[in-house]
Amino acid sequence: MTDATLNTGGDRPGSSLATQDARTKRRNRAEARFKAYGLTAILIGIFFLVVLAVSIIRSGSPAFTRTIVGVEFTITQPQIDAAEGELFKTKAYQTLFIDALKQQLDARGMEMDFDEDSIERLLGKVGSTLREYYQANPGEIGTPVSFELAASSRVDGYLNGRLTRDSVKDSRFLMAADLDLVDALQEAGIVRSSLNWTFITGTDSGVDNPGGAGIGASVVGSFFMMLVVLVLSLPIGVAASIYLEEFAPQNKFTDLIEVNISNLAAVPSIVFGILGLAVFIQFAHLPQSAPLVGGLVLTLMTLPTIIISTRASLRAVPPSIRDAALGVGASKMQSVFHHVLPLAMPGILTGTIIGLAQALGETAPLLLIGMVGFVARGYPDGVVSGFMDPNSAMPAQIYTWAARADPSFYEKAWGGIIVLLVFLLTMNIIAIILRRRFERRW
Amino acid sequence: MYDAPNLAENKVTQDKIKIAARKVQVYYGDTHAIKDVDVDILDNTVTAFIGPSGCGKSTFLRCINRMNDTIDICRVEGDILLDGQDIYDKRVDPVQLRAKVGMVFQKPNPFPKSIYDNVAYGPRIHGLARTKADLDEIVEKSLRRAALWNEAKDRLDQPGTGLSGGQQQRLCIARAVATAPEVLLMDEPCSALDPIATAQVEELIDELRQDYSVVIVTHSMQQAARVSQKTAFFHLGNLVEYGDTGTIFTNPEDERTESYITGRIG
Repeated sequence: MTDATLNTGGDRPGSSLATQDARTKRRNRAEARFKAYGLTAILIGIFFLVVLAVSIIRSGSPAFTRTIVGVEFTITQPQIDAAEGELFKTKAYQTLFIDALKQQLDARGMEMDFDEDSIERLLGKVGSTLREYYQANPGEIGTPVSFELAASSRVDGYLNGRLTRDSVKDSRFLMAADLDLVDALQEAGIVRSSLNWTFITGTDSGVDNPGGAGIGASVVGSFFMMLVVLVLSLPIGVAASIYLEEFAPQNKFTDLIEVNISNLAAVPSIVFGILGLAVFIQFAHLPQSAPLVGGLVLTLMTLPTIIISTRASLRAVPPSIRDAALGVGASKMQSVFHHVLPLAMPGILTGTIIGLAQALGETAPLLLIGMVGFVARGYPDGVVSGFMDPNSAMPAQIYTWAARADPSFYEKAWGGIIVLLVFLLTMNIIAIILRRRFERRW
Repeated sequence: MYDAPNLAENKVTQDKIKIAARKVQVYYGDTHAIKDVDVDILDNTVTAFIGPSGCGKSTFLRCINRMNDTIDICRVEGDILLDGQDIYDKRVDPVQLRAKVGMVFQKPNPFPKSIYDNVAYGPRIHGLARTKADLDEIVEKSLRRAALWNEAKDRLDQPGTGLSGGQQQRLCIARAVATAPEVLLMDEPCSALDPIATAQVEELIDELRQDYSVVIVTHSMQQAARVSQKTAFFHLGNLVEYGDTGTIFTNPEDERTESYITGRIG
């Protein structure tokens, strides 16, 4: 009977399927408009993403290269003996180097006059480098040796265009006149650019030595922190979620816990930082600035994220699977661990990696427990000291560099961002691969 | 009167009482879902529960293996005796009970594992097989019992979810049979299946009667008439009438039963 009324209801005078009536036109226009909005939103998003990527790569890539001055020359035994007889031995070696450099420039028909101070400003303490080299390799005396000397970060800045001749103010770091020498060296082909291993593997340096600053130590610090976070938050988070979702009775107490977990996920991270300072350092007397403490604080921060995503993925497992397991006489725990958990695994892993990525990029709590502003002297010796020794973390290191006055550190900060993003991308790719592997159809 | 096929064959061949329910009440929160149900379910018999939607037949079925325990707000009163033993006794572990009282659900719900693992899961967790060979034997026997062996024997390592709907339901039956239960509960086992798969499952149910007491909830009165020897008609939480299937379908005592069977209510 309903069919009959429906069929006669469409009796509109003069309506044809080939022409759109006003109402249809309006609906189609609304749909077209909505699609246009969506497309615009996506294009704007892509535009900003491209701007971000381009500016990060452009500003950060100079941090991965450094300028090398390569000079090949020979020092003979009598020259060594003469230099060792001087009062200022390294200065004598430096003079030898300057003579050699002048000769090379002369050979190319470029006569340059420069003093040892400008060499020291451009290339650092060349004399002691030479002396140490020949003391370590006495066999090289009298044969041509190619020295590769890292130029100061101001030279890097001049060559990649960050510093211009006009903007250089004479200081103890760089005189405008030194740039003539740099130009000459570049013309002579003595200067070249190479990968800056110091930046990738090194530790932080003092405020007036941007060239020696590296992110390596803080990468290690971040890695140890992530280990702590993973080892603590994954088992605790998953166990708590399973209990709350599958076993806990529904009452006021569990409701309260649920509300609190949701709220904890929204608590500003700096609150966890000051909590960590009070509890782990001041009360429990754990070492300051240690990755262990940083990891504990970030664990507190990551737990709510992991619990929420784990519970969501447990809830997404169809109840028929639980029924099936209980129906053949599995206990509650067997049904959860044999059937529900494997199906929820992709979601749990995704949530965990998102939580870890969030923790990896977190800076604010680290500032409060002292994992910042630290000039690392070297790598931790062993695994244990790696967790307990003072260290920095990637985001905190980037923050430190960005806060320093020297523009070369600004470049390092961008470079650090690139390293951080590479780590985040790697983690996300691992998440996708794990998800694919664990995903099953039912 | 309803013209049911093959009613003459539906003879009760046993009179041993397997399950006895006395004054069973079920509450969902404040809702009184099952009222005063008394029923004796016989061994080696197919008993059908029929009735309109929401009449409590599935709820009562789930009481028999205590699946309702998983629902927090559900409360069961009265006695349900399995071979004379109260299954709601405090000392009874529902997990052990469910190994004895197997269940097949409305929607086929194989585990997302291989066909072999689906059937082997029950025997594994109950320790029914001591060796791999034992387990293989149980799996083969159960799949044969569920009339799935010929279709599945060459693809035991393939996922059970890759089977067709009817095959999946027979896999679920094989899985239930593998734990060597005494009672098999089926909650509308054919409602998601096409007529051919339904016919296969119904044939299977008739065979299963040799070894088990089978209780089946169904919306299809033809199905109840085809497979069962005893029929119970539920209405609004009450067990209105219970008796031989032939009697219920040809000569019901209660007028509500007659109205339902002839299609006036429900």
